[in-house]
Amino acid sequence: MSPAGCSHVNGFKVDNWKQNLRVIYQCFVWSGSAETRKRKCVVEEGGFVPDALKITFKAKSCMCHMCGAHLNRLHSCLHCVFFGCFSKKHIHEHAKNKRHNLAIDLLYGGIYCFVCQDYIYDKDMEQIAKEEQRKAWKLQGIGEKYSMWEPTKRELELLRHNPKRRKITANCTIGLRGLINLGNTCFMNCIVQALTHTPLLRDFFLSDRHKCEMQSNSCLVCEMSQLFQEFYSGHRSPHIPFRLLHLVWTHARHLAGYEQQDAHEFLIAALDVLHRHCKDDNGKKANNPNHCNCIIDQIFTGGLQSDVTCQVCHGVSTTIDPFWDISLDLPGSSTPFWPLSPGSDGSVVNGDSHPSGATTLTDCLRRFTRPEHLGSSAKIKCSGCHSYQESTKQLTMKRLPIVACFHLKRFEHSAKLRRKITTYVSFPLELDMTPFMASSKESRMNGQYQQPVDSLNNDNKYSLFAVVNHQGTLESGHYTTFIRQHKDQWFKCDDAIITKASIKDVLDSEGYLLFYHKQFLEYE
Amino acid sequence: MRREMCFINMSKESQMRAAINQKLIEMGERERLKELLRAKLIECGWRDQLKALCKEVIKEKGIENVTVEDLVAGVTPKGRALVPDSVKKELLQRIRAFLAQHST
Repeated sequence: MSPAGCSHVNGFKVDNWKQNLRVIYQCFVWSGSAETRKRKCVVEEGGFVPDALKITFKAKSCMCHMCGAHLNRLHSCLHCVFFGCFSKKHIHEHAKNKRHNLAIDLLYGGIYCFVCQDYIYDKDMEQIAKEEQRKAWKLQGIGEKYSMWEPTKRELELLRHNPKRRKITANCTIGLRGLINLGNTCFMNCIVQALTHTPLLRDFFLSDRHKCEMQSNSCLVCEMSQLFQEFYSGHRSPHIPFRLLHLVWTHARHLAGYEQQDAHEFLIAALDVLHRHCKDDNGKKANNPNHCNCIIDQIFTGGLQSDVTCQVCHGVSTTIDPFWDISLDLPGSSTPFWPLSPGSDGSVVNGDSHPSGATTLTDCLRRFTRPEHLGSSAKIKCSGCHSYQESTKQLTMKRLPIVACFHLKRFEHSAKLRRKITTYVSFPLELDMTPFMASSKESRMNGQYQQPVDSLNNDNKYSLFAVVNHQGTLESGHYTTFIRQHKDQWFKCDDAIITKASIKDVLDSEGYLLFYHKQFLEYE
Repeated sequence: MRREMCFINMSKESQMRAAINQKLIEMGERERLKELLRAKLIECGWRDQLKALCKEVIKEKGIENVTVEDLVAGVTPKGRALVPDSVKKELLQRIRAFLAQHST
């Protein structure tokens, strides 16, 4: 097609052409109602139909009138009732013989001009196509169509004024930036590295979605926005996060000062402040405290189901609580990891003891979701039999977050001792959370750890994208982060220094905070 | 050629295809499958790969001369090969499930 557009379309744009085109879209392309769908596919012995309008009353089947094919890029003539396939050039033949220049693709609704020998992009026609598709989808309950981003006038202007473009290639290092340590602030740096490499959070901030309505300029979300700009600006010198630190000190006073802090504590505090500031900005809509739609909640919040079962009447009382992270116990000297529950021998866990003997993340999760006997000292009033009875409690995942943060409790604080647990816990690059779901509980209650039956179900699968590590002792140490860039490149972020890492480096590391991202997202 | 003739010439397999196609359209499942496929292909990066392929073809032919047919011819074989097996499997499973549910 020439850049000026197709001049042959004007021949079609006469009389009632808009209505005619709509009818064609409704009947043959997007067939929203059951009735039109039937027409589209039922083979009907039709007589001669003189013009396009009558097709609604005497519909023919959608198949090539020359060869009977249903597929092969079926097109319909826009000037008369004729269906022909594109692949075998039957529609071409028709166009040539009858001099009918325009035809419509029945699968995608594109309009082809046989004179231009190309699909044409006519504004009016495209508008009709769009409207009809939206209508049809609504009728069928498919929902809003995913459509490509189209720049608005203002955005076009901005694009014109800023002609410099950055291209993301497979090996580019955009997004990697060191952070200066401002005095024992590696606890913050390591979390910032993990957050800035959280795919969905990055998409949110880089697409400029935060609309701040806070009066003062102390919004942590705005600072995160700024931080993402810094990270993805392409600058190679380390960034100095003094503004961020100042805001953290202002909003989370318990982290203020130059002492060493716990990275996990910082993560939770940061998410909390971000969540509060998002709330401020996404307005009065968020008046339901249990259901917040801010980006932090959308990404990080999951639902944890707690089932307390009375040992006498076996009544179950269930509560569901939101969570941002999952803190997992590790086998330590003072806390034997197995047996799972009092009474079981614990020597073999469902027959799959690990040849290497190493504890796995899955072990920790299994322990986390096991039924726990609350003991005689912790009798709870049962809502079923209204008496104080011993009970068991079990946690399962009711709703999975998009990003799952696992906190390995490496810092042991008990009455007798305080120490760091350096036990190696192996964690996978890909994690399936299906066994730990509330919906999978039945099978687990029978003492069976089952592989998900449906291996095609990817809904609960996660990929590792960041690992925070702690080196040193309980009193003093240092935090570093491994982050994933592109699909499978790993980098170690040690304050201002960033080095390439192998997958083995990552998987062999001790692991303190593990960040997993959902592989498949539901479309809302 | 009259349409009745076409049916006589159709092989068993293509008759089956036609019947399945008909059922999918009739129930509106075909539109849903199309959207699912579109979403999955975007998700796995296929769409971006295809875009890059198209750009190559356009560069080769020159923006003034390239036609849709050139593009189709240029990217179809590679495009087909690039569709991940997992996506094909998922679609196949969806179609199977649908047919099992509606085979009466």
